[in-house]
Amino acid sequence: MSKADDQPVFFFGRHYFVLFILLCLLTSLLGRALYLQIVEKEFLFSQGEQRQIRTIETPAYRGTITDRLGTPLAISTPVDSVWVNPSEILQNLPALKQVASKLGINYRKTVALLKQKANKEFVYLKRQLEPELAGQVEAIADGVYLQREYHRYYPAGEVVSHLVGFTNVDDQGQEGLELIYENWLKAQPGQRRVIRNRRGAVVENIAQVIPAKSGNDLISSIDMRLQYIAYRSLARAMKYHAAKAASAVMLDARTGEILAMVNQPSYNPNQNKNKGPAQRRNRAITDVFEPGSTIKPFTLAAAIDRNMYNQNSHIDTTPGWFMVSGYPVKDVRNYGKLNLAGILRKSSNVGASRIAQSLQGKELWQSFSDYGFGQPPGVSFPAESSGYISHYSTWQPLDHATMGFGYGLSVSITQLARAYSVIANRGIQLDLSLIKQNPEDVRQNEISRHVMKATTANMLLKMMEEVVGPQGTAKQAAVDGYRIAGKTGTVKKSVDGGYQEDDYMAIFAGIAPVSNPRLVMAVVIDEPTQNGYYGGQVAAPVFQEAMSNALRVLDIAPDDLTTLQARFSGVDPGA
Amino acid sequence: MPRVYSLALLLTLVLSSAMTVIYVKHESRLLFAELRIIQKLQDQEVIEWGRLQLQNSTLATHSNVESRARKTLKMRMPEKVYLVLLP
Repeated sequence: MSKADDQPVFFFGRHYFVLFILLCLLTSLLGRALYLQIVEKEFLFSQGEQRQIRTIETPAYRGTITDRLGTPLAISTPVDSVWVNPSEILQNLPALKQVASKLGINYRKTVALLKQKANKEFVYLKRQLEPELAGQVEAIADGVYLQREYHRYYPAGEVVSHLVGFTNVDDQGQEGLELIYENWLKAQPGQRRVIRNRRGAVVENIAQVIPAKSGNDLISSIDMRLQYIAYRSLARAMKYHAAKAASAVMLDARTGEILAMVNQPSYNPNQNKNKGPAQRRNRAITDVFEPGSTIKPFTLAAAIDRNMYNQNSHIDTTPGWFMVSGYPVKDVRNYGKLNLAGILRKSSNVGASRIAQSLQGKELWQSFSDYGFGQPPGVSFPAESSGYISHYSTWQPLDHATMGFGYGLSVSITQLARAYSVIANRGIQLDLSLIKQNPEDVRQNEISRHVMKATTANMLLKMMEEVVGPQGTAKQAAVDGYRIAGKTGTVKKSVDGGYQEDDYMAIFAGIAPVSNPRLVMAVVIDEPTQNGYYGGQVAAPVFQEAMSNALRVLDIAPDDLTTLQARFSGVDPGA
Repeated sequence: MPRVYSLALLLTLVLSSAMTVIYVKHESRLLFAELRIIQKLQDQEVIEWGRLQLQNSTLATHSNVESRARKTLKMRMPEKVYLVLLP
C-alpha cells in the first residue's frame, strides 16, 4: 500500500453535492416554517382553537320562592336533556339501540327521525331527564351528549298556584310572583372559554366571558299552614254549595302582610300550565264585585268620624222601606228603631242609606276613598284591580242612598280585607304586601296613615262583634274562646247593568281576636247554588273553620275565656 | 473567562426557568383536574339537595300529613268533654 493510498481522497464534487442537497432541504424546511408562521398563521391558529377551545355554559339557578317560614313554594332543580349529532350516532346503531331502550323511546322512529335530520348537528332525543339516568345514557356511547337545564317544581301545587304563578320552558316567569319578581329571581347563565384535550375533557380555564349569576331567593309573606287551612275550607265550601268560584284572603292586621290568599277553581302548575284564565286567574286580586252589606261598617265610620252619630244614636227604619227617586230601599222586614249596632246586626239597608244620606256626597266619597275603596291595594300583582267608585259629582240621589249599603261601587276581596284591617288596626291603613316584611319598617310607615279615628274603629269593632253574636246575621262565624268581629254580605250579581234575580255572591269579612286584633279574613263565594246563599250561611262558616284553625296554629291566646269556660261546664251561654 | 461563565449561568437560568414553567403548567393542570372533580361532586350534591328538598316538601304537604294523621294514625280533634280548661 502506498502512502498516497493511505491518504483519504477528498471528492470535492461529492462534498458539494451533499452540501447542496442539505442546503436545499434546509431551505425548504425554513421556507415551510416561514410559510406556516407568516402566511397561514391565522388559519392554523383558528383551526387549533376550534379543536381545543370551547365556550361552555356555566349553570346558574333561578331563585327559590319560599313561604315566610322557609317552606319551598318553587324550586329549580337541575335536569339533563340528551342530544346527539345524527351523522355521528348513525354510524353506531347498536349504541343508539341501547340508548333508545334506556330512554324508553322507539328505536325505529328515532332512526328515521335522525336520518331525516342527518344534515343537522344537534337533535334532542329527550328533554329534562333526571341527572342520574341521563348520566347512564351518556356513558353508553361517545356521540351522546347532555345539556344541563333546570326544571321548576312547585311542591305546594294547586294550594298556592295563583299566587306563585309559574315559569315557561325558558325559565321565564309567566304569572304571579314568578312574573312580578322576574328580575329578582332570574338566573344569568355564564359563559367561559376553556381548553379541552383530545378526549373532550376540560383541562384549563382561559377566560370568563360572562360571569354566571344565580337568581335571588324570595321569601313571600304567605304562611303555608294558613294557606292550606284556608284552601281546604274554601274548597269544601265551594263543593258543598256548588258554587261557580270562590276566594279568600287572610291578612296580618299589624303588618299588612298577606298570610293566605286562595281561589277556587285552581290548577296544578306542575302539570297543566295551559289551563284557561278561569282556573289561572288570581280572583282575589283581579275580580271585583259590589260589596253590599259588608260596606255598612264604613258608611257608619264616615258618619261617626264626623261626630254625627255615636253608639247611643238611634235611627228609625219604620216601615222597613222608603222611596228614593221612585225606587224602594227595602229591609227584609220592619226593624223599627235601631241603634248603630242594630243596623249592623240586622244589616238594615234603610238604616245604612239614611246615614249615607245624612252625609254629603263628597264626604261619603272622601271617606270611602280614604278607607281604600277605588284605590289600588298596593300589592302590584299583574292585573291587580283597584275596584271602582264613581265620583260624587255624578251621583244621583238613588246612587247616594244605595252607596250606603254597598251598591254602585266595586271592590276586590283583597281590597275589602284591607279596608277591614283599618278597623282592626285602630284606624291605621297599611300597604298590603306579598313579601315578608320587617316589623320595624312597617311601624315606620304607618305613622302618616291614620285614615279613621281610633275611637271610631273601637266603636265599630264592638258593634261588629254583635253581628257574630247570638242576635246577629253571622252566628256561624263565631269561634269558641275568641271574640270575633265581622260583617256579612249577600249581593245580587249585576250583569250588564241589571241585577240577576237568582245569582248571588255570599261575602263575609271578619277580624279576630277583638281585644287585640291579629288577623283579618275576607271570604267571597260566587254563585252558591245549593244549601243556601246568604253570606252568613255560606261565607261565614268558611271564616269560622279557617280562623279557628289559624288562631290555634299561630298560638294566639283566647280572649274570651268566660264563654269557653261556660261551654266546658256544659252551659251554652249563647242559648 | 468571565464572559463564558456568565453566559453559562444565563443558559442555566433560562433552562431552569423553562423547566419550572413546564412543571408549574403540569401542576396547574393537575389541580384543575382536581377542581373539576370537586365541582362535579358539588354539582351532584346540589342535585341531591334539590331532590331531598322536593321529597321533603312532598312528604310534608299539609294534605298528606292530615290524611295520614286521620287515616293511618286515626287522630281527631278531642271532643269538648275531654278538654280541661286550666285557669
